[in-house]
This record gives sequence, structure tokens and C-alpha cells, in this order.
Amino acid sequence: MVKSFVWRILDFIIAAIFIYAGVLKVLDPVQLAHDIEHYQILPWAVGVGLAFYLPWLEIFCGLALIFRLFYRGALAILTALVVIFLVATIAAKVRGLDITCGCFGHASQNWSFPTHLALDLAILVALAALCYCSVARARANASPTLTS
Amino acid sequence: MKFSLPRQALLLAALALLPAVGQAIYFRDKISWQSPIPPSEMVSVDQAREWGDSAIWIDARPDEQFARDHVPGAILLNEDRWNELLPQFLAVWSPGKRIVVYCSAQSCDLAREVAERLRKEAQLSDVFVLEGGWEGWLKKNR
Repeated sequence: MVKSFVWRILDFIIAAIFIYAGVLKVLDPVQLAHDIEHYQILPWAVGVGLAFYLPWLEIFCGLALIFRLFYRGALAILTALVVIFLVATIAAKVRGLDITCGCFGHASQNWSFPTHLALDLAILVALAALCYCSVARARANASPTLTS
Repeated sequence: MKFSLPRQALLLAALALLPAVGQAIYFRDKISWQSPIPPSEMVSVDQAREWGDSAIWIDARPDEQFARDHVPGAILLNEDRWNELLPQFLAVWSPGKRIVVYCSAQSCDLAREVAERLRKEAQLSDVFVLEGGWEGWLKKNR
């Protein structure tokens, strides 16, 4: 009981982070497009498309975690987003690019690279834990005799 | 109603597309899909030169690059020393003058950022980013 309460709290924390980040970016998609451009990975037009799309994806996935609707799908998408973002950030650093991630709008503009990395890794660990918990729960539901 | 994981992910991805498309339509005049800077906010080297004395040139590059060389008459105004340099620029600016901002090349972002701050923070209009930046200017003036 206490355990499931703790997992639920973690759901809400992760959901809140992504909804907050998504809303900040929805308010200024132009800035986000420029932040994506700084990574120098994607053509400008693709970056613009992502600037409009990614914040809404984060918000919908965050809501899915809260309401437990399409829960596993949301976890999978968010995990993929964080992994892609981590790889892009490290690649940018290796190429010597001075980037602001834009993950939390202007709030994250002055964050250092280690701060970005630490936050992303913490979110990734939390998402991995939620994925693990979700799989374990699904298995327990599929074979109730094992848990009784 | 139970969906498999890929189907759940696809549904969420599709749902997020709806407001994104709506927002893209809403912002269609505020962002260009072709270039980071809307064409209406850019000026070619030839056009800017035609403006003559009615234009003020701003060099948005770092101090050391400005010290090495710059467009004759250009004023240094970069983000590193924004608070210190902005008043110096405003002292020589007068209403009605067009502002041409440049950085090192077409791909650099400093000119766009300085132009954006001049519009937002200094409330100036007629601010343009030079096509090709310093490299573009050099090509036309060698």
C-alpha cells in the first residue's frame, strides 16, 4: 500500500516536471525553435515542426501519467525523449557547441552542462523505475496466484 | 479498453499533433519555416549600403573580433556587455534611423539575438539582420 503510494507520488513528480516544461515551451515556440537550431543537428524546418509538437507531446504524456491513461505508452515516449535529448546534449558538448537546452524555457538558460546532465539522468532513472514498476505490476496482474 | 504499448504511444503522439498543428497555424506569421530569421527582418549588403547615413551598423560579435576588424562606422553591441554597451549605442541612435545588425556569418545567431533584444528591450523598430553577416559584407567589399 505504502509502496504503491510512493510510486504514485513519483508519477506525479515526473508528470509535473514534463507538464511544467511543456507549458513553458508552448508559450514560446519561436524561442524553442532557435534552441533546437543551436544543436546544429536538424534542418531549420524540422526544428520548427518539433518546436510546435514536442511541448504538446510532453504535456499529453504528463497528463497520461497523472490519469493513468495510456500510461505505458506515455512512459515509453518520455523515456525515448529524455534519451534522445541526453544524446543530443552530449553530442553538442563534444562538438564544442555552447547551447542552452531550452527544456524549461528561459528558466534553464543559465544552467551549466553538468546541471543539465544531472537533471536529465535523474529523470531518466525515475522513468526507468516507473517502467520497471509498471512491468512488475502487469506481471503480477497477469498471474495473481504468484502474488497471493 | 486495453491498448498495447505501441498503440498507446501512437495514440498519444497523434493526440499531441492536433494542438501542435493549431498552434503552428496561429504562429504562421511569427516564424518562418524557411529560415531562422523572417525575410522581412533581413537586409542584403547592397540594400543596407544604399541606406547610407540613414542606417546605423551594429557589430554583435565578441569584443576581440570587433577589435580585429569591422564594418566602417559600426558600433559594438554584443550580449556579453549588453548593459554597458546599450547606453552607448542609444546615445548615437536617433528616431527614424534603420539599424543593421551583423555577426560573423549567415549561420551565427548573435545578430538575431541582439536584433531581438533591441526590438523587445529597447523598443526599437526598423531593426534588420545583415544577410551573410560579416563574411557577406567582406565578399562585397574586397
